[in-house]
Amino acid sequence: MTQDNKVAALDAEGLTLKSVSLWQVTWRRLFRRRSAMVGLGILGALILIAFAAPLLAPYDPIRSMLDVDGYPREFAKRRAAPCIHIMGDCPDEQPQHIMGLDGNVRDAFSRLLYGTRISLFIGFSTVTFAIVIGTVLGAVSGYFGGWLDNVIMRFMDVLLAFPSLLLAIAIVTVLGPGLTNALLAIGIVSIPSYARVVRSSVLSVREMDYVSATRALGGSNFDILFRRILPNALTPLIVQGTLGIASAILDAAALSFLGLGAQPPLPEWGKMLADERNQVFTAPHLVFYPGFAIMLTVLAFNLLGDGLRDALDPRLAHNT
Amino acid sequence: MEERTVNKKLFNLLSLLVLASMMLAACGGQATEAPATEAPATEAPATEAPTEAPTAAPTPEPTPIPDVPIATFDGTSLSVPAEECNGDYAGLIQSVVATDANTVTFTLCRPDPAFLSKIAFNVYGIYPSEWIEATAGDGIRTSEGLEHPIGTGPYMVSEWKRGESVTLSANPEYWGEAPYAETLVFRWSTESAARMLELQAGTVDAIDNVGPEDFETVKNDATLQLKERPALNVFYIGITNTVAPFDNVKVRQAIAQGIDRQRIVDTFYPPGSEVASHFTPCAIPNGCVGDAWYEFNADAAKALLAEAGYPDGFAMKLYYRDVVRGYLPQVSNVAQDIQAQLKENLNIDAEIVVMESGAFIEASTSGSLTDGIYLLGWGADYPHITNFLDYHFGAANPQFGTQSDTYTDLLVEGAQIGIPTEAESIYVEINNAIREYVPMIPVAHGGSGVAYRADVTNPQASPLGTELFYVSDPGGRDTFVWMQNAEPISLFCADESDGESLRVCEQVVESLYTYEINGSDAIPALAESCTPNEDLTVWTCALRKGVKFHDGSDFDAADVVATFNMGLNIGSPFHVGNTNLWEYFDYLWGLMKKPGG
Repeated sequence: MTQDNKVAALDAEGLTLKSVSLWQVTWRRLFRRRSAMVGLGILGALILIAFAAPLLAPYDPIRSMLDVDGYPREFAKRRAAPCIHIMGDCPDEQPQHIMGLDGNVRDAFSRLLYGTRISLFIGFSTVTFAIVIGTVLGAVSGYFGGWLDNVIMRFMDVLLAFPSLLLAIAIVTVLGPGLTNALLAIGIVSIPSYARVVRSSVLSVREMDYVSATRALGGSNFDILFRRILPNALTPLIVQGTLGIASAILDAAALSFLGLGAQPPLPEWGKMLADERNQVFTAPHLVFYPGFAIMLTVLAFNLLGDGLRDALDPRLAHNT
Repeated sequence: MEERTVNKKLFNLLSLLVLASMMLAACGGQATEAPATEAPATEAPATEAPTEAPTAAPTPEPTPIPDVPIATFDGTSLSVPAEECNGDYAGLIQSVVATDANTVTFTLCRPDPAFLSKIAFNVYGIYPSEWIEATAGDGIRTSEGLEHPIGTGPYMVSEWKRGESVTLSANPEYWGEAPYAETLVFRWSTESAARMLELQAGTVDAIDNVGPEDFETVKNDATLQLKERPALNVFYIGITNTVAPFDNVKVRQAIAQGIDRQRIVDTFYPPGSEVASHFTPCAIPNGCVGDAWYEFNADAAKALLAEAGYPDGFAMKLYYRDVVRGYLPQVSNVAQDIQAQLKENLNIDAEIVVMESGAFIEASTSGSLTDGIYLLGWGADYPHITNFLDYHFGAANPQFGTQSDTYTDLLVEGAQIGIPTEAESIYVEINNAIREYVPMIPVAHGGSGVAYRADVTNPQASPLGTELFYVSDPGGRDTFVWMQNAEPISLFCADESDGESLRVCEQVVESLYTYEINGSDAIPALAESCTPNEDLTVWTCALRKGVKFHDGSDFDAADVVATFNMGLNIGSPFHVGNTNLWEYFDYLWGLMKKPGG
């Protein structure tokens, strides 16, 4: 009997296990976690909003109603309360603004929608930046060890010794305020955590037998590190990255709130919050919605990150 | 063993190298960054002038020649040689002499009809001569001088908790009406909402600069009262005209016509504010004679800009400091509205740059913000047209770049005429010339409000921002708590220019004259009267007798001379203050010096 026949026979008896990849398992586990699904759902909605912002937004986010042709001047009042026709709380001839107008007579709802773009962009770009650099540093450091490891990790320790927001503020102060510089600062600040995570998983993976086997077969360092070790050290990075997006968005909002991040008239949530913080009591809608949007986004990434951590944890494998 | 030490050495060497390269990289990064942030002037032409980019040849910085002191002081007389008045000495005061213990005579180089209004300014408050000698010197001014001013005022400073409050206690020997409240406390908060909350909670008796959105709240609250402060100020958009495109008068006129100022005032200013028809408010004699400012006309503006060679607009910066002032209560919103209007009406892309207050003042007033426009304003120090026009448009002021001689010469002429009606024709010409040349765009005269608890008597909102709290009774309570926008910078009253510091000084030190409560007329204070000679060049002041300083010493003419010696005489060892710029002594009188070399 040939090998093929044996397998075919087993197949016929329904005894072979269909090979299942890590990702399929993870997905399956993730799907069972309700909180993670909520996170994923919110995130999906946010991404949709980000892409469809021009279609969804009723007005230009940086244009004052005073500049909009044909807009009735008597209703173009700064910080006007929300006007929703269905609720019947404002006259029909008043244009509808479901989140009211902001301090510069702009439509708060449109600004909020466009803000989704900025926040998601901030989250993904800074974390990508930090992951790329952190992975290279951590991998090199963990794989080669010795003095190189010492130098890199001590430098990372130095970065970690500063409170991250403080360090980001220091970097932005040197580079000058602005969204790009804020992104760079947050990226730099979050490098160490990724470098550490990658280093620790590389340290454990590089001792595995299959790595030794590759080395015995004459694989180059590069080959071993990037094709054998790294793919197997990725899981904790994914978790860290998802959670990292949440903190990056928070940090960016904080920088903008302090006037160091996004510059006017960009509709960044942190900036919107800062602009109207004096109006907590006179125009609460202008403070509530951006704050709520930040909270929702951060929550989505945190829920998803937590779910991913559980789903990717091999110790929980028997649960599948 | 041998190998290990080699390895260790190698390791040390390498780590050193890495560290060194990191430091180099870090320093290198800064070095390349610095020019972009600190010297936009040199970059501006290349990036922003599409037509011609004059490559400025690096001129070597000329070594500054120190000014030469020219005054002599002997305790009872401070003077510069009379012939210097016609020479290089640009100052106004030729001498301050104590003729006897209770008489001081000011001799001026030129007639000054605004003398009384100026001398009433609190910066010229009189200090005891002994105190000046004890706390000042060639070395560093002691903290006593910076935090505990000694004057003759109704209150004395008892404690300054940095970052928290300044506490003043009543002067038991005050020569005037005794203060109502035993203790006067100054507190501060930059947020108008926070100030409002404190007032509503009853923890403070009065707050300065009620937020525009809170005017109605205060009016509708029976436990509060609102006092509106007349708009004796101006908010303007400054343009430094040294570099293209701003060196083209058509560009400046285009911006002037392309901004809807009415909309800014309607949208962002509290009641009582008005669109500026002229730089000087109309309440000041001759302030708004001549043609009113350009009407908003987007099409005409666009045409002018095209004519100047920028049909598609250009990119520039819009500078401001995030500081609330009566002339500009909603800084960031106004800046964003101007940004939006420039884009909408003229297709000018303005990048907003928020600067630290001190750095902004320094950069704007020295004329180094050449790659854009800036938002600044002016509140009257004393109610005279020279306080507005001469300061801003005098030939020596670099803040708008090059001043035009179509008005600079006339300003000198107008300042010497005492009777407003006689000077009117000159000021018509000046105002029209400024309108034509557009060194800046006057936008608004901002009204502001002070809110008091309803039981406070004699609520004040001085048009000059010089409220004197000893005349107000805080509902019978012992302590009057006042909350303003910011903490005083320091209390060296003769060398301060910040309104928040000067308001504390106001309660402590007194000048020869003062401004009437809730008004701007100069009335006698430490002097019983100051009378001029025929041509307004000699002013003789009869001093009040029996006045005592807080430290118990008697007030006499020598104190007046010593105070002016400290402020004006750059050769004096006591000419050491807080900033050492002596801005108001320099600007209203002129320091006693002439250029060296």
